[in-house]
Amino acid sequence: MLSPLRRESNVPTKIGPRTVRYDAMHILIVEDDQVARDSLAKALREAGHTVDVAVNGLDGLQMASALGIDLVVVDRMLPKLDGLALVRSLRATGRKTPVLILSALGEVDDRITGLRAGGDDYLTKPYHMAELLARIEALARRGDSGGDAITKLKLADLELDRMTRRVMRAGKKIELTAREFQLLEFMMRHSGQVVTRTMLLEGVWDYHFDPQTNVIDVHISRLRQAIDKDFENPLLHTVRGAGYTLREDD
Amino acid sequence: MDQEQRFLGVLGSSPFRIAIVYSIAFALGAVALLGAVYFAVSEVVDGSTDNLIEAEVQGLREQVLVLSRSDFIELIEQRSQDQDVRGAVYLMVDPQLRPVAGNVPAWPKIGADQGKWIQFKVAVPFGDETREHEMRAQRFPLPGGYRMLVGHDVQERQDVKQLMMRGLIVAVVCTLILGLGGGFWMGRRILAQAGAISAVAKQIMRGDLSQRLPVRDADDEINSLAREINGMLDKIEQLTLGMRTVLDSAAHDLRTPLNRLQSTAEAAMSQLAPASSERRVLERVSTEVDQMRSTLDALLRIALAETGTVARETVDLSELVASMVELYAPVSEERGIDLQSAVDADAHVQGSRQLLAQALANLLDNALKFTPKGGHIRVLLRGARGAPEVVVEDDGPGIPADKREIVLGRRVRLDEARKFPGSGLGLSLVAAVTKLHGARLVLDDAAPGLRVALKF
Repeated sequence: MLSPLRRESNVPTKIGPRTVRYDAMHILIVEDDQVARDSLAKALREAGHTVDVAVNGLDGLQMASALGIDLVVVDRMLPKLDGLALVRSLRATGRKTPVLILSALGEVDDRITGLRAGGDDYLTKPYHMAELLARIEALARRGDSGGDAITKLKLADLELDRMTRRVMRAGKKIELTAREFQLLEFMMRHSGQVVTRTMLLEGVWDYHFDPQTNVIDVHISRLRQAIDKDFENPLLHTVRGAGYTLREDD
Repeated sequence: MDQEQRFLGVLGSSPFRIAIVYSIAFALGAVALLGAVYFAVSEVVDGSTDNLIEAEVQGLREQVLVLSRSDFIELIEQRSQDQDVRGAVYLMVDPQLRPVAGNVPAWPKIGADQGKWIQFKVAVPFGDETREHEMRAQRFPLPGGYRMLVGHDVQERQDVKQLMMRGLIVAVVCTLILGLGGGFWMGRRILAQAGAISAVAKQIMRGDLSQRLPVRDADDEINSLAREINGMLDKIEQLTLGMRTVLDSAAHDLRTPLNRLQSTAEAAMSQLAPASSERRVLERVSTEVDQMRSTLDALLRIALAETGTVARETVDLSELVASMVELYAPVSEERGIDLQSAVDADAHVQGSRQLLAQALANLLDNALKFTPKGGHIRVLLRGARGAPEVVVEDDGPGIPADKREIVLGRRVRLDEARKFPGSGLGLSLVAAVTKLHGARLVLDDAAPGLRVALKF
């Protein structure tokens, strides 16, 4: 039945340097472009995940419906069953598996249709692997960041109270602008993960374009000034070629 | 208020105006027709009484020559009593104007300037009461200083004329009322249809090409026009969707190989030592792919905006402008450029928030790129009510007046700008987004610098 599928090794062959913080997941890639599929599968395995691949929408839907899949990366244009139809069918059967849609289309409102179909995130080709990995990580961890119910976020000696809108570090109050507060809240919700510039622009400002100016970097450096300047251990780190991460140094 | 406006709208509608013109023309026609009848009838009736009086005067003038005064008086008395000659009046008076014979109680006052014919009123018994009747008469002298008056009761004639005049007025008024009422009704009907058509047209302009004009069962001009426009819309929808399909497949066919290139380069890079020369080459490849991607994104967004098929929503322009300024404030401060803004609250437009944000970002990117350290950038949002206007102003080198039109064209980079990075598509995208929103893009001299205004 599943003859066109290549079930690739369940066991990560190699643990790469990026992988340390990832919780191992079982990820399904539904992508008809071989080069993209292979390099994505390789990168995910290097990150310690178990990877299944499907080359068309119908097989992808069958495999995604099987138990044990933690996350699906699906290309939008697929043979046999379109990527959006796949996501809709999956959602129609009540599956809440996180889905990241890859698209090679024209964009603007394609993104909205993708998310409306039930996708959780949307990335346009060509993408950087670091961007894709960061988004996969964010999707996988979305469940345990606590949602809106949690009012206090904490990392090492940094504390953020969403109710009183106060930020304290080592017992000292830190003054932030409204936007810096939002930025820090977003970073703290994704603490330990890599957050890219586009993720920040989307998550904090709700904009989906590439500014030609390094606007996000300057916002981050201001936030860094505010939370790290007077303290010995920096929490906000730059991840070269990817973005930023908020974590305790080890 | 709304009803009043609708009423005023009907009054201004073309059918109503046409109806006004036609009712006035018909009313004038009625006046001409009935007027002609009126004058013809008056002529005939007046003429016959006048002839009657003339004949009587002639007869009496002859009689007075052959009859003695007493016989003449008797004749007058006889004639006055004669029931067969209805309406004839006679009066003979002595030199002191005292009545001698006849059926008129007193000699009427006659002005000196009156000619052959005189008209006067006489009280005539009418049932139990008396009525003033109009009399028309001639007078002539009799031998011995006596005078004679011969005339006729023309009240009936007068009544007929009055009746006709009244009929004429009623006819004109009815023509006007029917004409204007009909015009109003027609105006309202057509206005309702036109209103439905323009409502749909607005939705279509907003990008919803699936909308069609309402067509009724009737086979009138407006319905057949609506049918033809719908046919045209089918064609436009087909073409636009076709264009969208072409765009999507072009996007797909360019993004897929770019993605392969990027993946391959990155995969290879991860195997190489950070400082190796091979890795530097691959890094350059990756940077070029990024550059191609951003050009491709810009081109596709321009093309999408130009198809007009981008979904619209209500965009809070005030929030958007304020948050874009807030996004760019730190970077301009870092570059020693003073970014100021004045944003009116509550400005809303129908459109795409993402494309508007991108357009504004392009303008700010440009302003930052061309404004020297210590320069100023001002962002304004004016006129929250109705027609908002977004202005981005810098005091950089500006664009020469004769080149402002051409920079809006695709991929135009002025020579002076070549030393700055960028695809040269920034302003083209702004122009396409502006057009998509039915706004106007105006480039102006900020003396010194460039002022770009988006007038919604």
